[in-house]
Amino acid sequence: MIGHAVILTALAMAVPWLGSIVVAVYHRQTRVIGFVAASVSVLASAVLLHAAPAGESLYQALMVLFSCLALGATLVIPLRDCTPGTIGGILFVLGSTLLAYSTQNVLVLLAAWILSTVPFFLERWLRAESWRPQAALLLSTIALALAIAIMAANGNALSIDRLRGQSPGGMTAFGLLVVAVIFRKGICPAHAWVADAAAGGPAIPTALLLNGHFGALLVAKLIVPLFPHTVENLFPVLSYFAIVTALYVGIRALTENSPRRLIAFLALSQSACILAGLESRTAEGIAGALVHWFVVTVSTMGLFGIVRLLEVRFGENLTASRHFGLAEHAPRLAVFFAVFGLALVGLPGTLSFCSQDLLIHGTLASHPLTGLLLPIATAMNAVSVYRLFTRLFLGKRRTGFTLLADALPRERWILTAGVLFVVLGGLFPNAIVAQRSAEVEQAIRAPIGPPQIRN
Amino acid sequence: MNFSQVALVFVVLAPGVVFAVLALLWLLGWVPSERVPCRITGLTFSTCVLALAVILWKLASTGAPGVVATFGNWFAVDDYHFPLILMADRISLPFLGMTVLLSGLIGQFSATYLHRERGFLRFFLLLHLFAFGSLLAFAAGSFDLLIAGWELVGITSVLLIAFFQQRPAPVENGLRVFAVYRACDIGLLVGVFALYHWAGTASFAAGLPRLTGTQAAIFCLLLLLAAAGKAAQVPFSGWLPRAMEGPTPSSAIFYGAISIHAGAYLLLRIQPILNQSRLASALVIVIGVLTAIHGAIVGRASADAKTSLAYASLTQVGVVFVEIGMGWTWIALAHILGHATVRTLQFLRAPSMLHDYHQMHSAIGVEQSTANSRLEDLFPRRAQLWFYRWALDRGHLDTILDSWVVHPLMQLSKLFAKLDNIGLSGPVRRKEEAAISMPSHARQGGD
Repeated sequence: MIGHAVILTALAMAVPWLGSIVVAVYHRQTRVIGFVAASVSVLASAVLLHAAPAGESLYQALMVLFSCLALGATLVIPLRDCTPGTIGGILFVLGSTLLAYSTQNVLVLLAAWILSTVPFFLERWLRAESWRPQAALLLSTIALALAIAIMAANGNALSIDRLRGQSPGGMTAFGLLVVAVIFRKGICPAHAWVADAAAGGPAIPTALLLNGHFGALLVAKLIVPLFPHTVENLFPVLSYFAIVTALYVGIRALTENSPRRLIAFLALSQSACILAGLESRTAEGIAGALVHWFVVTVSTMGLFGIVRLLEVRFGENLTASRHFGLAEHAPRLAVFFAVFGLALVGLPGTLSFCSQDLLIHGTLASHPLTGLLLPIATAMNAVSVYRLFTRLFLGKRRTGFTLLADALPRERWILTAGVLFVVLGGLFPNAIVAQRSAEVEQAIRAPIGPPQIRN
Repeated sequence: MNFSQVALVFVVLAPGVVFAVLALLWLLGWVPSERVPCRITGLTFSTCVLALAVILWKLASTGAPGVVATFGNWFAVDDYHFPLILMADRISLPFLGMTVLLSGLIGQFSATYLHRERGFLRFFLLLHLFAFGSLLAFAAGSFDLLIAGWELVGITSVLLIAFFQQRPAPVENGLRVFAVYRACDIGLLVGVFALYHWAGTASFAAGLPRLTGTQAAIFCLLLLLAAAGKAAQVPFSGWLPRAMEGPTPSSAIFYGAISIHAGAYLLLRIQPILNQSRLASALVIVIGVLTAIHGAIVGRASADAKTSLAYASLTQVGVVFVEIGMGWTWIALAHILGHATVRTLQFLRAPSMLHDYHQMHSAIGVEQSTANSRLEDLFPRRAQLWFYRWALDRGHLDTILDSWVVHPLMQLSKLFAKLDNIGLSGPVRRKEEAAISMPSHARQGGD
């Protein structure tokens, strides 16, 4: 059984990497190659999830989710962007992210962390215009590398299981890991790079990079299990950082007019809520954070995808400073946008209503101030997302567009699948919440005491 | 599950299912004729009325205080549960009846009123979603579930204000209303989470009695914020005239009947503890009195029929708030039902008001004159002018909210944007700074 798991995990990661090499060499049929490679990852991850024991399937579920997102990306990505660089980059990020999710070795985790950022440093692949994304990714990598070096030296092991609960490297390693989280996740004051990456880089691959949620992964996989006692004393500080970020970018988004930057701020604000939930150390808070992880990933991916489709159809000078009236041209894209946007901010009937409910209950119990501020941040995000929706899709109908296509069938089916996920997940949340709840329950009842999320 | 419980579940879920099915089919490419949504709407709400009649008959024959349908938990984590409880008691049944009756009537009225209108199907979809949200809020047996319905009513209200999406004014006004709703709903969210935190449950029956005096007062004040926002009470009344940009049928059902009374329903639900807190009940009365006076004065200076009616609604809802604050539950309930019915009729007749007047004048043979019966003549000339200016600016409420809340927030946002741009190269920074501007929803906008 373990042998099969190893083979399937290797297959899920290696095929996308192989696909990116084939795309780089062959230069043709890029979408087909991307689709096939991502499909193999989806299938392998799905089998792994099916075989995973109850309560220990978080990372397998994340593998399925991320490979589904990459599969969706290969289908939704407009023809104009379907270059070997973009598809190769998506596949490379897919393979690296799955490696990070599946590994139990700190050195491999570092390798996956570095590999997932490589395409964003190379000009021919996915590099953004601004220097800040590269700087943030570099600093986070250096901090993680130093932390792992210290941990390995002090703990005499590289396996996460063997280091569990030992606080290897003490406060220095813990501090460096927190720095890595702050830079990678875009926690205030290191948040500006996320918007820069979204605005200046390719939209869909950048969304994939952000939705890997490596910062949250580091918290769940390394910080909480390895430093249980330090976490007990110092985690509230990171929690306050998270809520400050959620509020700061929530306010910041109110006057932002670039659609891509605005969505990046929304994603950032909601991702900070994930971190606040993970740090709440309550069953509701952690389960809410894990479910919210799923919601934010699907919703922001959908929003970035739709904005890119609009840019391709109506020009890249979209702005929230005036009305475009695009709903007249693309009513279905408007509906998809509204559902994904409102699903991000807790619309009843979507999965985020449940995740926000759990998050606020959890954080209110552990850090009342954070619990009180979370609804305020979410309310501001809701206003921003509705403002963007009204400016892009409502208002006087613009004329002069040469191409007036609504969602194409392949786009429509993929976006409908995303909408169904957030809506059906919201109507029948127990299927998802119960799984996450089982993982949290196991973690909370673990002998070390504080929550540990095991693979 | 007995027949009454099945009927209750059907009443709540039917509009939601119709919305979901029609929306999904449209999303996948189906475009129905106008006849399809009209017939489905008629059928759905007629069946709902019948189902409610059955519930009423069963309750009357058995003498039971209400119907409760429990479905376990929607989701659960550790000790926390989100219970699914639907309830139709003496407070919620009138609201449920009002919702299904008026929604059905509005559906039939709109079939003609919105004939060949762009967005015909959209209107009917939103009507069903609104009815589902309202029914869920009124039939919820716990505050958790009430929040879900409450939020759905809010979002459909905003989407219907922006129904005529080609005109910028309705769109911008919708955004403003959405912002006010979301800001006030924070009170409901925090209040309900605090209730759970203190009482260990958010259900009406079990949660409220467990609160201590101070906790009950805090809880009531938080919910009063949400109720005042939804019912457009002072100081949140500024959104109401903006909401008149929507089509007349939606104005009738939202701001004449159901949505505007949702705040009153929330207060009726917490009335057992509201009356224990002198501070909270006094505040409810003060807000109600201020709103009634505000609505009466501003309504007299409104230039269009719908806005006048909206302010007339506001005045009556203010009086309802006073009745609730005084503890007169059944008077408030009767007032709500009577007011909702009359106001819906007035809203629906508003587009043909001139025609109605002409007909009436022809029938009685003389022009009706109101020349010497104006209330403002009781005041000195200077006071009249002051009141007139005050009424024209709608009590300066929007100006105050803008100056104290919106503009400082926008300035803070711009300051954050400048901080974010530190370290960027010159051209990139200039590009970013040019992209930031004051959104127009922060500016004054009228209907």
